[in-house]
Amino acid sequence: MKESNVVFTWRMMLLAFLIPPLLILAIEVTFFGEFKGLDSGVSFTRFANATLTAFTLCSLFLLGNLFFYGESRNRPLAPLVGMIMATGFGVLATVFLIGQGPMLLEDNGSVRAQAIYNIVHMFVSSGAILLSLCVALGATFSAITSQKQRSSFELEDE
Amino acid sequence: MNIRDFRSDMDEMLQALLLFWIPVSMVPLGVWYSLTSSPLRGRFLAFTGIVLICLSPWTVPSSPSSAAGHLLGAVIGPCMLIVLGIYLISFSGNVSVGKLPRSDRKIGVLMAAVGFAWLAGMHWWILTPQIAPDEVNPYWNVFWPTFLLLTSCLASCSAVTLLMIGEQRKTESNIMFIVSAFSFTLLLLGLNLDGPLVNAGEFRQHLWLAVADMAGIAIGSILSILVFALVIYTYERNLPDPESITPPTDSELKQVSSLIATHLGGEEE
Repeated sequence: MKESNVVFTWRMMLLAFLIPPLLILAIEVTFFGEFKGLDSGVSFTRFANATLTAFTLCSLFLLGNLFFYGESRNRPLAPLVGMIMATGFGVLATVFLIGQGPMLLEDNGSVRAQAIYNIVHMFVSSGAILLSLCVALGATFSAITSQKQRSSFELEDE
Repeated sequence: MNIRDFRSDMDEMLQALLLFWIPVSMVPLGVWYSLTSSPLRGRFLAFTGIVLICLSPWTVPSSPSSAAGHLLGAVIGPCMLIVLGIYLISFSGNVSVGKLPRSDRKIGVLMAAVGFAWLAGMHWWILTPQIAPDEVNPYWNVFWPTFLLLTSCLASCSAVTLLMIGEQRKTESNIMFIVSAFSFTLLLLGLNLDGPLVNAGEFRQHLWLAVADMAGIAIGSILSILVFALVIYTYERNLPDPESITPPTDSELKQVSSLIATHLGGEEE
C-alpha cells in the first residue's frame, strides 16, 4: 500500500471513530440550537481529573512492566527510577491541583475524597471501555467467522 | 462472623481498606499470579477479590466507593452473558481452532440479546441499580453512556477498517455498521426517552461527562506511554556500545562450512 493510501486509511478510520459523537453534536445543534446539558466547567473538571488519574495509574502499570523489561537487561535501576519519578509526579500533580480549590473538586469535600473518587471512577470507566472493546472486537470476529470459509490460494480450488 | 459487630469496632477508613481496597488489589494480583506462577491460586485470588468487592455495599456501607462494588454486582450478570454469547457466536463459525457445535450459535445470539436487553432494562425499566430506594447508583451514570458511546465509535471504526483494509468484506462491514447503529439508537433513545429513575436530561449531562472522561483517559494514557518510551529510549541510548569480538579463525570458518554443507541439498522425492 502506498504511503498516501495508508494516511488516507488512518484518517478514514479516525473519522469513522468520531462520527457517532459528531452526529450527536449535529443533532443537538439542529434541534436545540445549543449543546443542551453541556456544562463546560463541570466537563473540564472531569476531563482534568480523568487525565491526571489515567496518567498516574497508567504510569504505575508501566512501572510494573519494567520488571519484565529488566529481566532481559540485568535489572537496570535507571528506567525504574525514571518511571517511579513519573508516577510520583502524577500523584503530586493530582494532590497539588486538587488542593488548589474548587477547580478540580467535584462533589467531594477534600483532596483525599476526590483522589479516591477519581480512582474508583477510573475503574468504572475502564470497565465500560473494556466491555465495549470486547463487544466491538467480538462482533467483528463473529462477523468474519460467520461467513463462508475462503481459500487463500486459487490453485487449491482447482 | 457477625458483620455488624465487626464493623462497629473498626475505623471507617480501616474498614474501607480491609473490605474494599485490599479486595480490589487482589484482582490484578490474582491475574498476574495466574499468568506467571500458579493459574489455579491466581484465579481463586481474583475470584475472591471480585466476590468481596461485590459484597462491599453490605460489608462497608459507610464508604462511598462501595457503590462501585454495588454496580459491579449489578452489571456482572449481563456483561458475562454478552461476552459469553459473543464467544459462542464467534467460535461456532468458520474457525480452524477450538470450533464449537453449530447449535451454539443460536444460544450465543440468545445470550448476547438477553444481556443487552438486561442492560437496557436498567435504564428504561425497573432494573436500575439503586443504592437506596429511588436513588440511582451514581456509577451507573458513568458506565452506561461510556459503554454505549464507545461501542458505537469502535463498531463504526471497525466497519470502515473492514471496508478499507479487508478484501471483499462488505457483508462483515455492514454487520458492524448495524452494531454501531444499534448502539447509537440506544444513545438517541436515552437522550429523548425518560426511564423510571433516569431522565433524558440527566442522561444528556452524563453523556457529555463521559466524552470528557474518555478524552481525559486517552490523553493521560498517551502521555504516560510517551514518558515510558522516553525513559526506555534515554536509557538505551546511554548504554555503551557492545564490545567487538575478534573475527572467526580459519578453523572456525572450516567447521561452519562443513556444518552448512551437511544441511544443504536433500534427497530426491
